[in-house]
Parts: sequence; structure tokens; C-alpha cells
Amino acid sequence: MDFYQGRVLRIDLTEGSVAVVPLNMEWARQYIGGKGLLFRYLLNEVPPSAAPLSPDNPLMFFTGPFAGTGVTTCSRLVVGCKSPATGTILDSYVGGSFAPELKFAGYDALILTGTASQPTLVWINDDVVELRQADKYMGMGIAQLEETLRRDLDTNAKFMSNGPAGERLLPWACLSTDQYHKAGRGGAGALMGAKNVKSIAVRGTGSVSVGDAQAFLADLRRIHKDYILTPANLWAHEEGTLALVDMVQVAGAMPTRNWSQGQFEGNDNINSRAYMKVRLKKRACSQCAIGCRNFHVIGDARGEGPEFETVAICGANCGIGDAETLFRFNLACDDLGMDTISTGGVVAQAMDMTERGIHDFGMRFGDAEGYLAAPALIARGDGIGAELALGARELAARYGHPEIAMQVKNLELPGYDPRGTFGMSLAYATADRGGCHQRSYVQADEILGGSLPPDSLDGKAAVNIHWQNFTSVKYTGIWCEFWALELEEMRQLLRHVWDDDFSDDELMRIGERAWNLSRLFNIRQAVEADTVPARLIEPGGAFSSGPSAGRYIGADRFARGLAEYYELRGWDASGTPTEAKLDALGIDARV
Amino acid sequence: MTHVMISSKRCTGCHMCEYACSAQHEGAYRPSTARLFADVNPTTAEIKGHTCLQTSCAKCQAACPEGAIVTKDITMAIGGEFSAKRNLGDTFQGTVLVVDEATCTGCGECYGVCPTAVIRAHPERNTAVKCDLCLGDPQCIAFCQNPHVLAVDVKADRAGRSASPGGA
Repeated sequence: MDFYQGRVLRIDLTEGSVAVVPLNMEWARQYIGGKGLLFRYLLNEVPPSAAPLSPDNPLMFFTGPFAGTGVTTCSRLVVGCKSPATGTILDSYVGGSFAPELKFAGYDALILTGTASQPTLVWINDDVVELRQADKYMGMGIAQLEETLRRDLDTNAKFMSNGPAGERLLPWACLSTDQYHKAGRGGAGALMGAKNVKSIAVRGTGSVSVGDAQAFLADLRRIHKDYILTPANLWAHEEGTLALVDMVQVAGAMPTRNWSQGQFEGNDNINSRAYMKVRLKKRACSQCAIGCRNFHVIGDARGEGPEFETVAICGANCGIGDAETLFRFNLACDDLGMDTISTGGVVAQAMDMTERGIHDFGMRFGDAEGYLAAPALIARGDGIGAELALGARELAARYGHPEIAMQVKNLELPGYDPRGTFGMSLAYATADRGGCHQRSYVQADEILGGSLPPDSLDGKAAVNIHWQNFTSVKYTGIWCEFWALELEEMRQLLRHVWDDDFSDDELMRIGERAWNLSRLFNIRQAVEADTVPARLIEPGGAFSSGPSAGRYIGADRFARGLAEYYELRGWDASGTPTEAKLDALGIDARV
Repeated sequence: MTHVMISSKRCTGCHMCEYACSAQHEGAYRPSTARLFADVNPTTAEIKGHTCLQTSCAKCQAACPEGAIVTKDITMAIGGEFSAKRNLGDTFQGTVLVVDEATCTGCGECYGVCPTAVIRAHPERNTAVKCDLCLGDPQCIAFCQNPHVLAVDVKADRAGRSASPGGA
């Protein structure tokens, strides 16, 4: 089979055993790869009500068919498990060069099960797979770890690693590769920590076949020219995600000071223009012609980032209007291996609790000293860090103020305030992995250049459903957000993979199928109800100033929107997919 | 003198040149066999390109005991939609060093002398492999397509530029 290696590497950490098993090609045809294939494997292997940090919860790494080929942006990898943060299904995406390397080693996917009895380094050197003692690497930050592993193993090896945060099972510990690339959300790092794995190293010297290589190269040259290196995508090279900062600010949807305002007066110090002044160069993931990443230098601080979400949640939301301070905070989180959205959300909340006199965490909005100290305290569980490591919801509940926590299903919210972009309320409430902005880009239609009204929920259930199905099929590729491709380009590329042609309808059905699998999984795991914090929808939460002043969705309208969403999805009133819907999608699994 | 260069300053570290190179020469994507590569330190963003300097270096040719590395005239056509080298014209003349696989014994004398470490043993065939500029249409340049990057490009001397197009 071209494009696929047809092999899954399974490592049982409890037994210390390694097996190579065939990829389920029937599922590959039904789900392509990435998100869809991962979800089918997760649904099959995670027992109901599994404890997220137990040996029962597998940690899976899936590639897509185009990883390890020249198809731009498809070097992305998806990491999956039952999320330690939310208890939902988790699919967390990361770029860099790990996925192609895994393919070149001969595997489409890697599945870790069980728990190692001692700190372990997984070393995949083509066909030779070893579980090595990893005591000497414990406690290392990502930069030191990757440098040491390159020296100890192979200068060309790639790594998927835990920082100190994951070693200590922080619920929002992320996995890191190529230093700055993160499988950020949902706490996959905590699960890898629980499995006693510090890092997975891979070196692959084999090949990924694509059929007639000459024909494929010729077609790819055309696709790149016509569909990738166009103004619709090149903004991502020229600016990257920082381009979004001003757009969200202008719309009054910028989370500011723990979601108490929709615009930040320090915006101009942390926007794209501010960081362009200190940009050293552009960086790219492996096999990506776009290259969205920015490498910055400020004084002795050097590295990639911050990206938009970090600017919003760790910048504006913490009242930090200084490019260098924010940059240093981001670098610290990256090296410790912790998601910046959750870290920023929790820190902003601790600042808010201090300001309101709920509890004194010794830091206030805009206070650089306490802010910069926070990531290491949280990762290591020192001082106030031990309490902050509980996460926004549990921290707020502990002091009797649950209403202050801005999270959905215990995932701290990202940088689009639904009061400035109403559709996001449904997006957050219904996202498969909790409060996430990457499942439905309804905000793009409302405030990032689209023409839908941001202050209305009318018709937004349908818009959200379309986006969720579309991104789901896009993430099977695994195509990146920064290639604004349509179904037509997916079809052109998939024609090289499968002999039979996919229709647009069939592609959308693959996305819908994956989305319904996630719903089955979440029901099986008894995930909590779909909702958003009251502050974001009730009249009392409306802003008193700014472009979105006075606007509120209202609990009734939100409930109607959610009911409409379930109905259009073919789900019953409790949000459970009906038999008819599952049959229509050809899903053989049931709750 | 005609050869490919990678600009450390412009290169984003996407390795697209290595992907394309391996697909062209191996019939499948296999960057570990690419005839050029970019050493990328992901933490510091330091990038060093490794490319064959062809006849302007020729240390491999001098080291080969079998005379298996031969000079070959080629016609380059690297117009490409985004090439930075439009001023070279549609085609121009150049020379490359290619491995004559029928003569090469795979003895490895050439590997150590290469200053950029780009002449290497083929993982299956018992022979050295190196850059041949795709005999005129280098895929590494073709796939360094981002108009803001164009890090992989060709260097040609005056003689190459002034040669009449189309000749061999």
C-alpha cells in the first residue's frame, strides 16, 4: 500500500514488550488517518469509565497518509487518549518533524499501553525498539533533554518528550517536540508521566512510497503553486497567528484580565507589529512550504513564540502588556512542558482572586514578577504552584467562587470571548475535548474576515456543525489550520492514495463519522453536560464598554441553540446519537 | 561551476528540498538518502546547508581510485514559477559530477574527503550516490517554492550564464 506503512507499533510498558501489528486498513479507508483513525482505535481500546491516569488508558500517536511525503503541512501528528484534564476523548495535534520520522521508521501509529515500573526512554531506531532506563533524564527541561538525547542517541533522531510538568502529572502538561512544538491541550503529558515515560525518540531511515513518484512530484508542484502559495495562505508566513491579535482586539473579543473585559489597552505592545520588530527569522515544520513560525530574540531570551493564543490568554488576560515579559513566560512554559492556554488561564484567575480579595496568591494583573515565577512553581508544585496546579475550576471551587473559573469540561478557555463572537459559545460547549477553539471556526465567519453577525446565535448551530465536520475531515489528513484548503484539494490529493474517488459528500461524512465517534466515546466515559460559564451568556456578564458592550446571549437563547444543534446533528435531546444516525454513517460501534 | 546552495539565513528548516530530492532519485520519499540536506537545530534555529559544490570542489573525483566520478555537461532549466534566478534565462549550460554506478565499487574513498558530507553510500545498492542536479531540473529548487523564502537556489558562473540556450 502506498502512503500508508500498514504497521502499528504497540508497546506494552507493563510487560516491557514490543509488537508490530497490521494497521486496520478497513478503518483506514473509512477514516483516512489522523483524527478519524485515532478515534476509532480509542473507542475500541479505552474501557468505559477508565481512570485517565491508570494503565488502562492507552496513549496513542497517529500520523496521516501524507506524513513523510512532500504534501505541505501534513507532517502533523495527533496524540490521543482519554484526557486527564477533561475525561473526554482527546486529540491533540503537533507539528515539527516527529510524524514523518515515525513513518520513515516504518510505522503509521504508535500505541503505548500499561505503565513502566521505572523511568523509561522509548528508543525507536527503525526496526530496533528499546525501552531504556531514563533516570539521568528526569527533571530536565525540553531544551536540555533534546540536546542530551541527540548526543546520546543520534543527531538526526526526533523526540516526543515530557518536561518537568508532565513528570509531576500536571493535568495540563503537554508533549513537546522540536522544542517549541506542543501537543498542547488536554494533558497528554500527564498520561505519559503516569506511564513513567520521559521521552520517545525515533529515527527513521526508510521510505514512504507514493506510487509513481515522478507523477506525484509533478502534481504536487502544481498543487503547491495553485493552492498553497497563494495570498489566502501566505499571510501565515508573513505574520503567522499573531495576525489575529488585532482582529480579535478590534472585535472586542479579547479575553482581558480573567475575562472581565473584551479589549486590552496594552494590545499594541504585544501584537504582530510589536513582535515583528524582534523577529530573527521564520521557521517551518518539516514538509511545510508555508512556514508560519516566528523565531524571536529579546535580550538574552531567544526562541519561537508566542503564538496568538498565548498572547491572548497569557498576555491580555493576565494584564501583561510587555512583549519581553510575555515572551519569557512563553519560553518558560515551553521548556517545562505545560500548555500556555491553561497556564495563562489559571494564572489570570489567581490574579483575579487576589485583586478581589478572595485569596492572596501574591500576584496581581500586570505584575511581571509573580507572573514570571508562576510556571516553574506550578510545574514543580512549589509554594502557590501546588494550589494553582489544581486547575482553574478546582481552584475556584476550593475558595467558594466557582463562577470565576473560565473553563468548559475543565479545559481552560482559549482566546475568543463569546461575548464578542456569539457562535463560539456553542463551539466551546459542544467541542469534543472541552473548551476548544479548533473544532469550529465560527469565529472566522463572525470576526476574522467573515460576514456573519457576531452578536446573533441565529443559524449558528448549523454553522458550528459544518465547521466541526469539516475540521474533522481536515484533521484526518492531517492538514494544518494554515492551509486554507477546500474539499476539492483534499480530493485531488486523496486520489493518489485510494483508487476510488472520494466525493465531497463522502469527505464530509468522514468528518461527521469521526465527530459521532467522539460523542459515543464521551457518553461511554460519562462526560459532563455541554455548557459554558454563566458569565459568558447571562445579562450580568455583559461588558460595560468596548465594541461588544451590553451584548449577551442569554441562557434561554443558548439553550435553544444547543437543542437546535442536537436536532440538526441527528442526536436525541440529551445529545446522544440516534441509531438511525449511526446507521446512516456506517458506524458499527454503539454506546 | 554550477551547483545548488542553501541560504542559512533564508531557510526555514522545512526540509522540502530533501523530500523532493529523495523522491526524484529513489522513487519514494526517503530524506535519509537525499543528496543535499539542511542541518537544523530546532532550539536555536541555526541552520547549515549541505550541498555538493560539483566541479568547483571535485575532491571526490580526485579521491576515486576507479575513475567512477565523471564530469557531465548538462542543460539547466530551473525557470520555476518562483525562481529567484530569472536573470539566468530559461536554460543555461553547466557541468556536474555524477557517479557512474557501473564502475563504482562502493569502496568509500570519497566519503571522507567530501567537505559537505553529501556523497554517501546508498543504503541498498553497493555504490556511492551524490547530487546530479537532477540532470537539469533540480527538484530541491522546484520545491523551495515559497516566494518569501527561496532558500535553495543555483549558483552558476559567467561561462554558464553566457552559453547559448539549448546546446549540450
